[in-house]
Amino acid sequence: MAKDPIRVLVTGAAGQIGYALVPMIARGVMLGADQPVILHMLDIPPAAESLNGVKMELVDAAFPLLKGVVATTDVVEACTGVNIAVMVGGFPRKEGMERKDVMSKNVSIYKAQASALEKHAAANCKVLVVANPANTNALILKEFAPSIPEKNISCLTRLDHNRALGQISERLNVQVCDVKNVIIWGNHSSTQYPDVNHATVKAPGGDTPVRQLVADDDWLNGEFITTVQQRGAAIIKARKLSSALSAASAACDHIRDWVLGTPEGTFVSMGVYSDGSYNVPPGLIYSFPVTCRDGKWSIVQGLSIDEFSRKKLDATAEELSEEKALAYSCLS
Amino acid sequence: MAVRVLVTGAAGQIGYALVPMIARGAMLGPNQPVILHMLDIPPSAGALNGVKMELIDAAFPLLKGVVATTDVVEACSGVNIAIMVGGFPRKEGMERKDVMSKNVSIYKAQASALEQHAAPDCKVLVVANPANTNALILKEFAPSIPAKNITCLTRLDHNRALGQISERLNVQVSDVKNVIIWGNHSSTQYPDVNHATVTTKGWRKTMCIRLHGEFITTVQQRGAAIIKARKLSSALSAASSACDHIHDWVLGTPKGTWVSMGVYSDGAYDIPPGLIYSFPVTCENGEWSIVQGLKIDKFSREKMTATANELTEEKSLAYSCLA
Repeated sequence: MAKDPIRVLVTGAAGQIGYALVPMIARGVMLGADQPVILHMLDIPPAAESLNGVKMELVDAAFPLLKGVVATTDVVEACTGVNIAVMVGGFPRKEGMERKDVMSKNVSIYKAQASALEKHAAANCKVLVVANPANTNALILKEFAPSIPEKNISCLTRLDHNRALGQISERLNVQVCDVKNVIIWGNHSSTQYPDVNHATVKAPGGDTPVRQLVADDDWLNGEFITTVQQRGAAIIKARKLSSALSAASAACDHIRDWVLGTPEGTFVSMGVYSDGSYNVPPGLIYSFPVTCRDGKWSIVQGLSIDEFSRKKLDATAEELSEEKALAYSCLS
Repeated sequence: MAVRVLVTGAAGQIGYALVPMIARGAMLGPNQPVILHMLDIPPSAGALNGVKMELIDAAFPLLKGVVATTDVVEACSGVNIAIMVGGFPRKEGMERKDVMSKNVSIYKAQASALEQHAAPDCKVLVVANPANTNALILKEFAPSIPAKNITCLTRLDHNRALGQISERLNVQVSDVKNVIIWGNHSSTQYPDVNHATVTTKGWRKTMCIRLHGEFITTVQQRGAAIIKARKLSSALSAASSACDHIHDWVLGTPKGTWVSMGVYSDGAYDIPPGLIYSFPVTCENGEWSIVQGLKIDKFSREKMTATANELTEEKSLAYSCLA
């Protein structure tokens, strides 16, 4: 008996991340190989023709799981009945723009979209904000969609998490699927803290701590961290375009693990509404280590935090508090 | 045991759409580990390395290695599957002979490298246009690669035809099957629905709509329509179709279903042998076979002959470029 289709919204769908993401969703990467989907794609009017081109290609690809495509510039139509919303659309930073300008533009967008989602999305809609500043856009969305449970609003740090796994696998020359339980703490920005203190590698003797195998604290506390923090810029430098492929893939991983659950003994990183765990100020969207089960995430509790980590956790929290203040000042 | 998959032109748009699909198992199944070999030309080396970085950053469980190179020997070494996306695109002002000439040189060189360095029984899919003729040149200059292992992509056109029918009849595309794309992956292709069926309420019904005219031209010209809308060509659907082509070839077509592949003609359906021509095929045990015995009406016969004629001309043009 085939499952009922799930409606998945992608905003900014005519852009690069959207183009990488929609075929992944249509192939079942996000929700499983047996889960039919209906795609809702939203973009702004100047991109309407391009968006229709994407719709045409989705039809042309004859995806068996894809049971419908709604391509629209109307936010109400886009949000109607959606069970999952992946918010890729936002105002990109352009040369010469100040941080406040970027924040101001995005805050307006996320306030408006919060409203539409709250009114028209399906009950229990799960939201993933990708567009930067991701954490603060998600926070604004939460603030202006009070009837969406705060636990249903998240932002993407799975890209940074996967990047950290990749760096460890390269350093140790092991398969990336044998590395797990890195943590990305905080803001999806250059103050993020990639923490390997609880990460392990599958080895013949069992799961072995990464720190022990790498045996190079200078690298783990230095270059490893900056490499992960600055990876986005490195991709842009190489490709002259930003990391659409890996961002789209990470978005699928984030939703899939949220909906279908994390494997036993494995945690992942998600930007979620802070409840004060680990002395992180409540009321921020902050990336924590989480496990997922029955469609819900829970912060992994009780991990030991050393002094080095404490400083990093606090620094990124501080940046998020500043962003929150800046966002609110733009709105008043 | 990981399967080595080569993608040429991997730094381009189709490559960027294709490699994550391969790395997720869309091409060879969700349990088949892969090692990606990506080849592009030296001016694209930085961009190609960026793609490699992103593949690492995506932490794909099935992806057991990535080789990103501008060296065709390194690229071809040990590959079990080769997707030839790289080619010389038509630029404004270029004559057909110029495009053909550039591509024929590329495919002659790559034929050599594949023949010498690929794994035995390497399966080849040519995507870059002119796909059929590039594939033919590749076959001619890689004589030790069995002719049956060299194909070109018409699955995109096939899938487009399924999509058009599903939209027209307002049915799910997964309920439409057995269209055929005959001939050249060009505007002379013949999308044939005479044997296509739709499953509704569990029953299979043959098309009762005469689909001549607009349906055919829509499918033939769909590529241009995508470019008009997106200002870029159809990377997403081309990549997806390339995965479907290889998937069905390697893992088999479902019972009662055939697909379209550009394959080396053996004279079936009175098509001249010695061309790479798109036929209806079923696949089993890693081999394709042309579906035999389908009725061909007069309208179809003319279309099939016209596209064969174009391919014969392209073959002569290609050989004249090499002389």
